[in-house]
Amino acid sequence: MATAVAALHRVRASSLIDAIGLLLLGSVLLWLVVKFFEDPTRFINVGIIGVTNGAIFGLVALGYTLVYGILQLINFAHGDVFALSGLVASTIILDVLGLGEDTSVIFVVLGLLATLAITMPLFALVNASIERIAYKPLRHAPRLAALITAVGMSFIVQNVSLALYGVDYESVPSFIPRTDAIHVGGIVIQWNKLSVFFIVIPVLLVMTWFVRSTRQGKGMRAVAQDTEASAMMGINVDRTISVTFLLAGSLAAVAGLVYLLQFEVRYDTGFELGLIAFTAAVLGGIGNLTGAVLGAMVIGCVQAFNEGLDGTPGGDWTRSIVFGILIATLVFRPEGILGERTPEGA
Amino acid sequence: MSEQPSTGPVLEIDDLHVYYGAIHALKGVSLKVNQGEIVTLIGANGAGKSTTLRAINGINRTRQGTIRFQGQDITGSPPHSIVKSGIAQSPEGRRLFPLMSVTENLEMGAFQRTDRENFSEDMDRVFELFPRLQERRMQKAGTLSGGEQQMCSIGRALMARPKLLLLDEPSMGLAPIFVERIFETVVEVNKQGTPVLLVEQNALMALEVAKRGYVMETGTIALEGPAGDLKTNEQVRKTYLGEG
Repeated sequence: MATAVAALHRVRASSLIDAIGLLLLGSVLLWLVVKFFEDPTRFINVGIIGVTNGAIFGLVALGYTLVYGILQLINFAHGDVFALSGLVASTIILDVLGLGEDTSVIFVVLGLLATLAITMPLFALVNASIERIAYKPLRHAPRLAALITAVGMSFIVQNVSLALYGVDYESVPSFIPRTDAIHVGGIVIQWNKLSVFFIVIPVLLVMTWFVRSTRQGKGMRAVAQDTEASAMMGINVDRTISVTFLLAGSLAAVAGLVYLLQFEVRYDTGFELGLIAFTAAVLGGIGNLTGAVLGAMVIGCVQAFNEGLDGTPGGDWTRSIVFGILIATLVFRPEGILGERTPEGA
Repeated sequence: MSEQPSTGPVLEIDDLHVYYGAIHALKGVSLKVNQGEIVTLIGANGAGKSTTLRAINGINRTRQGTIRFQGQDITGSPPHSIVKSGIAQSPEGRRLFPLMSVTENLEMGAFQRTDRENFSEDMDRVFELFPRLQERRMQKAGTLSGGEQQMCSIGRALMARPKLLLLDEPSMGLAPIFVERIFETVVEVNKQGTPVLLVEQNALMALEVAKRGYVMETGTIALEGPAGDLKTNEQVRKTYLGEG
């Protein structure tokens, strides 16, 4: 009887929370619709910036969600690995390959591919080494120990970046022109924005194929769903975890290069971007790969709309809004947009 | 790996000790499974039946004692190499991968095998044993009924082409009609040549199909013998068959 009453209370409380959540979501959507009709062209142009940034956040968010799915660990060092990969990419592009604004298109493309050919394996290894050194010894320790170690690894990687590159921002010349690639009415997509998708979409397709169809990818999904049962099926769990960190690290390296091409990078870039990407992963449903990309798109758009439309709190408030979303997600829908309601639903 | 004579022991466990933290869970368990046999391990909840199975496939660390499989010492080997050597398990509670389809779950059972070309043939064999699974093959395992999940779990273990099959509580939580079906299949699989170590709470059914049995009590083997003898043993009848 007592449990029935308690269950009833829980149902009531959760439906009240759901109602508040839906009300909040509804008013934001209503506001967006109003903004759209005020100035559709501007709205779409700002949205395009949001989706572009979201694509970059998504690559980083995938790294968080992959690792969380398999280890239930928030790898705080991931954002810093991303930033260091961007810094290393700048060295390769400027000092090793010597690319400049006057380099021809074909050499720019080849140069960027060559950069990825170096940074992807390199940061895959860096990321897997972090796991091997810092997290693996704590595999059977309480989860909090690994979490605190992850925070520690974040500082270590950040300080490596600081020691190697100092406090200045690193940037590369804009190889990819900011001229219009698509121009329909007042809606404009510049080449440098469009190029983000030329890199991100193939990477996402290859990753999806890897996780869905390869033996190792299926092993990853199995370990994420039930680690012990996976071991009983003959899946080498330690190796699968290493592969997951390799994959996450190489995605971070792609994100590092794409980010460098759009913005500038310094030692602490990964801290804030990492938290944004982590928020995106939670919003989409931590452990869910599609959710991470979707959540990143949403966060990218929230940021762009906040900074690009009138009548918003403006850029100074972006961080607060992003973390407000994190808190709201945890309160109203802790499993995220696409997450399962079961604890082992990763 | 040396081939054993068809009647020799496939699995020999000698004086096995396992601890969970400070708890002494297995206190010197010895048992063996011979070629072609169904051997059952019965006993009350918490007696250490599952712990024994988990020690065999390397999930639980053993502190003392040896486990030999086909004459080779596998004590302390990692689970994936134990599976590779030929021991497959259908774990307690089924433990399917809930978000994977039935087909994908079966594929996971064959993870250690490199002969992918034989997968579909083996999958057909599993579907022959459990036609129900074929109907549900594209369905996510988490959406199957309890009985179907058990079939899928046993099918998944069979996909490894095991030389020893470990079954942990296959009848748990199932309707009597499914229990019957599952046990028929276990006998069928055994007839095709796979020795089975069967852990069961349903002692009556287990002793019905098994050739020999072991009765566990608080981490030790209390009784052992031919299944027929155990079935008529007064102590067993009182404690596990609900009589007296």
